[in-house]
Amino acid sequence: MRALLASLRRLILGETWTIPLGVGAALGLAVVMRAWLPHATWQAVGGFCLAIFVLAVLALSLRRAHRGHS
Amino acid sequence: MTFVLTMAAAATAAGIEMLEALAIVLAVGIARGFRDALAGALAAVVAVVLLCLAVGPALLGGADLHFLRLIIGSILLLFGLEWLRKGILRMAGLRRRSSSYDEFVEERAALGGAIAAGAGRDWAARLVAFKGVFLEGLEVGLIVLALGGAPGRLAPALVGAAVALVIVSAIGLVLHQPLRRLPETQLKLGVGVALAAFGTFFTAEGLGVEWPLADLALLYLAGLFAITSWLAIRALARRVTLAAAT
Repeated sequence: MRALLASLRRLILGETWTIPLGVGAALGLAVVMRAWLPHATWQAVGGFCLAIFVLAVLALSLRRAHRGHS
Repeated sequence: MTFVLTMAAAATAAGIEMLEALAIVLAVGIARGFRDALAGALAAVVAVVLLCLAVGPALLGGADLHFLRLIIGSILLLFGLEWLRKGILRMAGLRRRSSSYDEFVEERAALGGAIAAGAGRDWAARLVAFKGVFLEGLEVGLIVLALGGAPGRLAPALVGAAVALVIVSAIGLVLHQPLRRLPETQLKLGVGVALAAFGTFFTAEGLGVEWPLADLALLYLAGLFAITSWLAIRALARRVTLAAAT
């Protein structure tokens, strides 16, 4: 049962905590930016900001994985 | 265009998960008997379908559209980034390449070492087949529900999953040899790119963003993730080569 729960956690959240925590942080940052920027500006550039945050999360997860190997 | 993109993403993602489930069923079937392997797999398929039927309509029908897009986008981002991370590490040589055939061989070896099945029902074999197919099936269900969650996208997501089911069943009927020839690592990386693009697209829409060129944004987002992945693979592979040389 414990093995099945661990498999389910890996299935939904992945093998590391970097990606779920990073995606959460990226969403939080995007919500803050949406509140801070004028509405029209957010509508126009918000998607690109989110894409950059997501790429940063990917880069961080790769960096941690690479460190783990070296 | 949206129909084709959603269908292609659902078909590829579901197909790869189904291939992994097929590898487990083949391994259990060859090592312990196909009757028990198919019984376990069938029970898992029924459990996943019931779970999706129970959760899906409530998830898709009861929520505010923006909130739904945000949730769906976040789930797709979690899946997409994990697939991208693994794919990049595999392509750069930092992780073993993905192969359902190897998984099949390992699973068969593990089961072969277990106590031989008796004449009655082999519950151990059924459990192994059930667990493998349930977990892979759950992933198929989550991806199809997430991709099909936005208005007008459920049909292409279901068609994509159905196409994948037909293709994977055909591979299963022709036995396991085709598993060897599939470029699984590259396919999984491609699925990671697609899921990350869909995830970013939906999440941003959920937060009130209006993408330039509307749905075509999926293409330039996929291009952005593909180029970034290629650059990351090159950079990591170069480091691996340098580390091996010193």
